[in-house]
Amino acid sequence: MARVTLDHVTKRYEDVVAVNDMNLDIKDGEFVCLVGPSGCGKSTTMETIAGLTKPTEGTIHIGDTDVTRLPPKDRGVAMVFQNIALFPHMDVYENISFGLRLRNYDKEEIDRRVDEAADVVQLEGMLDREPNELSGGQQQRVAIARAIVRNPDVFLMDEPLANLDAKLRVHMRTELQRLHKELDTTIIYVTHDQAEAMTMSDRIAVLNAGELQQIDPPLVCYNEPTNRFVAGFIGSPSMNFVEGNVVENGVETDNFEVGFDPAGIPSLAVGDQVSLGIRPEDVYLVDQIEDPDAPHLTDRIDVRTDVLEPMGDEIFVYLLLEEDQETSMEDQGMAGQLLMSVTPDTEIEGDEDVDVVLDRSKIHLFDTATGEALAHGVADLTGIGSEPAAGEVESDS
Amino acid sequence: MATTTERDDDTSEGGPLESWTNGVLKDEAKRQRLYRALFWTACGFFLVTTLFPFYWLLVLALTPNNRILTGDWSLPVIGVEFPHPQGFNPVAFVEVFQVVPFHYFVFNSFVLATTTTIIVLVIATLAGYVFGRLEFPGRGALMLGILVISYFPPAAFLIPLFDAFLGNPVVVPFLGIELFSPPRLVNTPGSMIMPFSALFLPLAIFILTTFYAQIPDGLEDAARVEGTTRLGALVRVIMPLSAPGIATAAVLTFISVYNEYFFSSIMALENNPENWSPLVGGILSYQTQYTTDFNLMAAASIVGVLPVVILVIIAQERIVSGLTAGALKE
Amino acid sequence: MSTEQRGSEAGRESQRSGPIVAVTRWIENLGETAFAYLLLTPIFVLLGAIALYPLLRTFELSMYTGILGEGEQEFIGLQHYVDLFTGDANPDLPGSVIFLPGISTDGSFPFVHVENWVRSTLLVTLLFAVISVFFETIIGFGQALVLDKEFRGRRWVRAAIIIPWAIPLVIQGMIFYLMFHPSTGFLTQYLSSWGIVASTNTLNDPTSAFLIVTVADIWKTTAFMALLILAGLQSIDRSLYDVAKVAGASRWQQFRLITFPLVLPALGIAVLFRVIDSMRIYGLIDSVSSCTTVPSLSCMVVETFYSSRGLASAVAFVTAGVIGIVVSVVIYQQYKEGI
Repeated sequence: MARVTLDHVTKRYEDVVAVNDMNLDIKDGEFVCLVGPSGCGKSTTMETIAGLTKPTEGTIHIGDTDVTRLPPKDRGVAMVFQNIALFPHMDVYENISFGLRLRNYDKEEIDRRVDEAADVVQLEGMLDREPNELSGGQQQRVAIARAIVRNPDVFLMDEPLANLDAKLRVHMRTELQRLHKELDTTIIYVTHDQAEAMTMSDRIAVLNAGELQQIDPPLVCYNEPTNRFVAGFIGSPSMNFVEGNVVENGVETDNFEVGFDPAGIPSLAVGDQVSLGIRPEDVYLVDQIEDPDAPHLTDRIDVRTDVLEPMGDEIFVYLLLEEDQETSMEDQGMAGQLLMSVTPDTEIEGDEDVDVVLDRSKIHLFDTATGEALAHGVADLTGIGSEPAAGEVESDS
Repeated sequence: MATTTERDDDTSEGGPLESWTNGVLKDEAKRQRLYRALFWTACGFFLVTTLFPFYWLLVLALTPNNRILTGDWSLPVIGVEFPHPQGFNPVAFVEVFQVVPFHYFVFNSFVLATTTTIIVLVIATLAGYVFGRLEFPGRGALMLGILVISYFPPAAFLIPLFDAFLGNPVVVPFLGIELFSPPRLVNTPGSMIMPFSALFLPLAIFILTTFYAQIPDGLEDAARVEGTTRLGALVRVIMPLSAPGIATAAVLTFISVYNEYFFSSIMALENNPENWSPLVGGILSYQTQYTTDFNLMAAASIVGVLPVVILVIIAQERIVSGLTAGALKE
Repeated sequence: MSTEQRGSEAGRESQRSGPIVAVTRWIENLGETAFAYLLLTPIFVLLGAIALYPLLRTFELSMYTGILGEGEQEFIGLQHYVDLFTGDANPDLPGSVIFLPGISTDGSFPFVHVENWVRSTLLVTLLFAVISVFFETIIGFGQALVLDKEFRGRRWVRAAIIIPWAIPLVIQGMIFYLMFHPSTGFLTQYLSSWGIVASTNTLNDPTSAFLIVTVADIWKTTAFMALLILAGLQSIDRSLYDVAKVAGASRWQQFRLITFPLVLPALGIAVLFRVIDSMRIYGLIDSVSSCTTVPSLSCMVVETFYSSRGLASAVAFVTAGVIGIVVSVVIYQQYKEGI
């Protein structure tokens, strides 16, 4: 009943394209996060689903109904807003029952449903409070209760946790997941926080510059990003990228080579400019692993440690690839730099020469020009260590 | 302190005035005292100049009329001549309603002011919503147009309006096409309410635009998703939250209509309450018909001024914020 | 929550029908621009009928002869305007009122003499605007400086200062009528002995009446100036004064270097606003004195529109034109700052 479909939705404002040819198919009961940097069109996409903005082109279906031209009130959607948007001139009961009262439900029905909703979000006994007497978390619960009380087909949540403090945000995340299980309703959730998207959603839709980049379950987005943007956006800290060229026997960068047979990956041709991507946790200190020469690892790379960032459960180590150690970090920018995460008990210092290796199966190759993913994982030359996860990307997108 | 006093002594060879001036220039405490004295003098001066005319009204109203003409207004108290009532005759405040049905005039003013205020609020609310919350081509030009119209003198509108309100046909300018003949509106509330509404609409629009623009977009969106139309959100959310702005616009419109002179004195052809002549007519009929009843003129003025004085004292903050928002916004 | 409940909301929506629902649906589906113009329709109608139509029609009527209530008689083009500025229309103005003042150049210092200024509609209006606004600005600045301080009873002082602004024009007129009427006004006694106003028939003496009307206007509208300047004063960042004090600036220097320049924009708007408003003067003159004694532009429209509709229309349009010049200055100012 409450499948949400966007067909070629485009929203143009005078000379700005906020959303460009968006196609989304969200299944009934699914929890989908729209993520992306600010200005990527995720909020506009949500507004077109809510009906607050009419798309310039394209159609939107909720269930089997074409809602493209329906006003928000007739779409069967409920929405939770970033700034919470409780009506300051109404108490909690009046806020929650606002939509029901507009639809002329009888008093008992309203009372019953308000009590039920207040129960779900644990707001019992607060119905006669004014919004400004509530804490931030309580206000957000009222907003959620106002949304669930109408039994909407679809929940729209526009960064609902963005204005809460960090601790409360983590708590509310689990509450929302519990709520989703309990209600079993379609939830579309907008956030710029990829961690929020990773932890809560069934599928993540990554948007950039008004265009959909990828829509997949969180781990697929993490392990097999379709392009360099998704690879860099999902995961914290971000993936390392090193520029290089495809050569006869692998990929060569300014500072190191990764050997493999490019012929095994049809999308690669010798001479191609590629970006080599590797996540910080897939970079290993040679001293730390039992068999640094194992086939699933690359050859050793000489680096010099720079800044250390101890996080408690791990340490982020900035590694300088450049031979020339004189140039400071600011001068180099990110270019000759690699981030590695190691366990907190690792004995390591700044300004120390060390050797590192990369996990071959976790190496991603992207076309430097287009950013498209070319390969996820590269087998070693002999082919012994070919990982099951490794493989080429179908070039259909 | 000690050093300045010393220096004071050094330079005090001149006259006492010179030493005092030097003291003020150099001594911080003396200077503070001078500023304070200046401040209270200015404050007192402004109070006396603004309030004295009202005191003069009271003096005249309480003085029996036969003594006004012969009255010696000076009372040599502590060497200052100060006007004061020549006797005590509060009956003037009763006579004021008997000689002329003054209460009817005031009643007319109230009806006209209330009706105009309601019309202005309804129209200005729609306009304030549009200008404050919607983005559309022509917005700036339209606001400017309304602003410009509000600057034009009522005299520039008078002749065709009076013509039409007499019941003469309305003609399309420069084309000579007669559109329709309106009913004869002079001596009816319509002939005043319409020009009043047009005259005081712009200020209300600018006040409400300012207030409506301040309501967060999220609240309007929330109301619409919850089940209101755009206008429903205006009535149920934006207007209740802008209550102070609406009160401001209402108070200023009411005062403006109550105080209006131009159309009030022209559109009611005689100073007669049956012709919907408002306060203006009541006061003028004393001035023109009972030309020597000075005590009644004063008493009528006091009665007529009371409603706005009360309004100013109650709604002072609203008036101040409205005038400044309305004018500085423009 | 059960599925049967889930369907109920959509059901409720589709059940409703009828003309009101249809109109609501139509309005709701309008684009933002169409919706905006729909809501503005009442204003277009009202301002079109009460302001725009009369303004254009006034211009049209000014080019015809004829009297009120009759159709156009004879088309004479801009003859009324020409007559006004050449003086040929002066006989049609009431009493000894003229439109432009006479100017004589008899060679004596200061060579050019403005004659009969107090009888000239145009000059009286302009002089009234300039003089009254000048004094209102100065006194209003003083009042604003007083109200800007925190002191006990400030609220009451402010109310007292606002009250003159809020009282009806006709009562303001009556107050000054009673203060300066030779029979009652004790003020006339003193002022005439100093030669400032005429001792008899004070309110019908053009120069005296002009003076009294100006004073009355200053008394009433200074409060408006004071409030606008006060708003400007209160928007000044107080920490600027601390900076100045630390730098050793005296109070006068603080006023000259911080207060005045920062208030100037607000002051400019307020002055233009008041100039426009004061050029419309009518009611005060009518209730204190009479339109033939102090002939303002608006006064002349009212005095002549029964007898000579075309001429009155021409005067009305000139009034609009003079104000229009000041308005364009305001708009230019706004345009420069970006609306």
